[in-house]
Amino acid sequence: MKLNINTKDVVSGAFLILVALAGLYLNQDHSLGTARRMGPGYMPMMVFWLLAGLGALTVLGGLFSGPDPLEKWTGVDVGSLAAAVAAGVIVWKISPQFSGFFGTTYNAVGIGILAGMVVLSFSAGWRFLGLVCAAVAMFGLMLEKFGFFAALTGTILISVLAEPGHRSRPLGVLGLLVFLLALCWWVFIRELDIRVNLWPQL
Amino acid sequence: MELLLTNLAHGFGVALSLQNLSFALLGALIGTAIGVLPGIGPVATISLLLPITFGLPATTAIIMLAGIFYGAQYGGSTTAILLNLPGEVSSVVTTLEGYKMARNGRAGAALATAALGSFFAGTVATVLVAASGPLLTQVALSFGPADYFSLMLLGLIIACVLAQGSVIKAIGMVVLGVALGLVGTDVQTGQQRFTFGIPELSDGIGFVPIAMGMFGIAEIILNLERPEARSVLKTKVGQLWLTKEEFKRATPSVLRGTVVGSLLGILPGGGASLAAFGSYMMERKISRGRHLFGQGAIEGVAGPEAANNAAAQTSFIPLLTLGIPSNAVMALMVGALIIQGIQPGPRMVEAQPDLFWGLIASMWIGNLMLLVINLPMIGMWVKLLQVPYKFLYPSILVFCCIGVYSLNNNVFDVYMTVLFTVFGYMCNKLKLEPAPLLIGFVLGPMMEEHLRRAMLLSRGDPMVFLQRPISATMLGIASVALLLMLLPNIRKKKDEAMAG
Amino acid sequence: MSLAISRRGLVSSAAVLAGGTLAGNARAQVWPTQPIRLIVPFAPGGTTDLIARLVATPLQERLGQPIIVENRPGAGATVGSLMAAQAAPDGHTLLLSNIASHGISPTLYGNLRYDAVRDFTHIALLTLNPSVFVANPRSGIATMADFARFHRDSPRGLDMASSGAGSSNHMLIVRMGQILGREINHIPFRGAGPAMTAVIGGQVPLMSDSLPSAASHIRQGSVRAVAMSSAERHPSFPDVPTLREQGYDLVTNSWFGLSGPARMPAPVVERLSTEVLVILRSPEIRARYAEFGGTAGDMSPAQYAEFVAREVAMWAPLVRESGAQPD
Repeated sequence: MKLNINTKDVVSGAFLILVALAGLYLNQDHSLGTARRMGPGYMPMMVFWLLAGLGALTVLGGLFSGPDPLEKWTGVDVGSLAAAVAAGVIVWKISPQFSGFFGTTYNAVGIGILAGMVVLSFSAGWRFLGLVCAAVAMFGLMLEKFGFFAALTGTILISVLAEPGHRSRPLGVLGLLVFLLALCWWVFIRELDIRVNLWPQL
Repeated sequence: MELLLTNLAHGFGVALSLQNLSFALLGALIGTAIGVLPGIGPVATISLLLPITFGLPATTAIIMLAGIFYGAQYGGSTTAILLNLPGEVSSVVTTLEGYKMARNGRAGAALATAALGSFFAGTVATVLVAASGPLLTQVALSFGPADYFSLMLLGLIIACVLAQGSVIKAIGMVVLGVALGLVGTDVQTGQQRFTFGIPELSDGIGFVPIAMGMFGIAEIILNLERPEARSVLKTKVGQLWLTKEEFKRATPSVLRGTVVGSLLGILPGGGASLAAFGSYMMERKISRGRHLFGQGAIEGVAGPEAANNAAAQTSFIPLLTLGIPSNAVMALMVGALIIQGIQPGPRMVEAQPDLFWGLIASMWIGNLMLLVINLPMIGMWVKLLQVPYKFLYPSILVFCCIGVYSLNNNVFDVYMTVLFTVFGYMCNKLKLEPAPLLIGFVLGPMMEEHLRRAMLLSRGDPMVFLQRPISATMLGIASVALLLMLLPNIRKKKDEAMAG
Repeated sequence: MSLAISRRGLVSSAAVLAGGTLAGNARAQVWPTQPIRLIVPFAPGGTTDLIARLVATPLQERLGQPIIVENRPGAGATVGSLMAAQAAPDGHTLLLSNIASHGISPTLYGNLRYDAVRDFTHIALLTLNPSVFVANPRSGIATMADFARFHRDSPRGLDMASSGAGSSNHMLIVRMGQILGREINHIPFRGAGPAMTAVIGGQVPLMSDSLPSAASHIRQGSVRAVAMSSAERHPSFPDVPTLREQGYDLVTNSWFGLSGPARMPAPVVERLSTEVLVILRSPEIRARYAEFGGTAGDMSPAQYAEFVAREVAMWAPLVRESGAQPD
């Protein structure tokens, strides 16, 4: 058989194998037990070996079923991905030293994700992924401290950056913002009465 | 039979009182609303409303709660079809063909099919509950852990049929889903597995963050990346109602879905979650439109929606006949009844005939109301798709955020959603399909639980899976299904190899 | 201030008005000044949730502030309990403490981030519920003598279901095995409902269950009650003999109580204790708790705190013996 590489399948298979290996490594903590009284590690062991096997099959199959290349990554894409991961981890780790706010709940994780995603969105290939995820992370970061309205405003303002049509039309964005704030208040606060702070807690 | 009619007449007498009717309507409306909102599920809503029901008569209270329950089922399919946002496992299946239909400009037809199919299935299943509830309970009771294990295994194997591409990759995704389902507290020993010391993970990864990230939000990113694809979404709306041809294609699927769903819904050990995609698999193999699957086949909406709603009705059977709730919503209803001083169970039929027959009658009335509420709204929903995407996507995003947060009032779930958005995006680029993963995620933990329980009971003898007739039958079907699935692949590979 | 709170503020101002007409109780103006959050560390609809709501309704009337039941289930009831332990001890956050969170989990979870005694102000015992051994009617087991004989004579020993690993019912099964000199094959389920289904369906012959969840099934005759774990026969089930009567010196109860974070002001504790005791002595609540199969508690805050400490000590050896280990 001729080698005809399906990059997507090879990468998929490699990913499955990676997860399986990580799982098997972590599963060392759990006792296997016996067939009669299976321990907490029994099922994970079977599942991860199966996953590794399927990953290997996918890689093997992928060597001959191509070509199906991945989308081209530009140098900027690779660079911003690396920079994003670095920025995310660094911000996550050091942010609690700057403000007690980041030391509580998952705020350090939130600001880490936000920073990483913002960096990621500098490259054209990752722009939409970065901005949408940053918008969601912004919501998590702001909600409990700054309240419902501020968090929604943050999320909406980041998310509209993803659409070029909005950048030249600030009035449209403002309209959208007001409309969504009103709608969300009506649906979630007035009707469903979910328990969140509406205004900043200072 | 005559007795049944008398009882049903009595039930309708109860259910048709002005108070009960208005609370059924209220429940159905609330249910539809929360079903449409991503993340906010019936469990959260019912527990919020529980204190209100204390002031109502028991029958009225339970009628309203039941209305919320199936209202949410209806509403859930709406967002699945329109926005690719599944709120629960059954609507994952609806996204597969339903969202494709919406993209083809047939959103109206998909919604109408879902509503009509659900109504029909609901009617049949209600009659079934009324006529043979106690008998069906015996069927449910004869299922032991070994049988449930084999049923789940069968479910997982047929989940691979959901795949539109490579079967091996689909099985990989199912297994990956099972692996994700391992996270959390082990039921048998109470040990924490793969939780990294994060307390939020001790009850497992939430379904909604995964579904919302991998389906809804990842889809937003992909739509933003392909502006040309979403223009289709808003320009072609097409005829709202079903064409004659579509109606003819959907009818047999609804019938089959009703049967599959009614049967699976009876099983309290997780049968109802299998109903929708059991039907999907069936339609994909035997319906007339099977060659259209993956491009928006109406059979793939009609069958699963009918199955899902039929299962929702028959899953009341264990509650009504044994007093044992088969899911979290039912557990809340039992709570509501107990607070009212009523113990649900076999004696309820005699002790509380108003409640029992009134509930059954109101199930049907509730379904009728949902049909009446939902059919006229289809036009409105479809209009929603005409909202320019640049306004639509920030709205979906904020609704998702609030919905996810409100699950546990915890921002942790929001960050999990981000994680699964990235993962879903990656899967899309690698042609790894998310639907089999979600099915594996839901069925995996149940399968492990039943497997380990069966082995405990058999003292470690695996033969129990072959000795029990129900289990052996399931395993037989599973192996045939696996063979049928792999054979064409192998043959194709062989042909390719020979040609090459 | 959030709108939700300001609306609750409206409710509370109405309540203050009402309270003002009731009595010139000086404390009522000090506490409670805002709605009280009652954390229930279990899912809504379960026994614990119902017990909480049954007491919350009369309590909020007596205190003149709404009580908002907040369900925070997870990890053997420890998630919600930790939350309560870390809340401000101003009397506006209370917890439904129980045998899982404050009796068994302290031993079960080695890395627990709270101390069941020191990190809480224990206010009142709400109710005590015995466990009951139930059998499938076709299993041939009607008494503890049958139980012991079947367990001895069967080559494989008996299977016995429970609502989950680490539950008090699980511990009871372990203890029973120790007494009989042969391990009972414990089959854990995800909650009492599925376990009961398996017993009714004959998949498992026996189950150790808390009386509240088993009561209706015993009354309906779908399962047979073999023995009760209380010290004396239960008034609602006078036909069911206790374990002690049948020659096994084993008395356990599952329990539910009201607690708050440590260092709550003494006047608040006193007021809460007084009001709860009045409610617990009322015939209505006694009747409702009895329907569940429980008895209403009658303990002062000091007695309840002592009770909790005793329970932790009592369960510790059994939990270690049981082999259940969450981490």
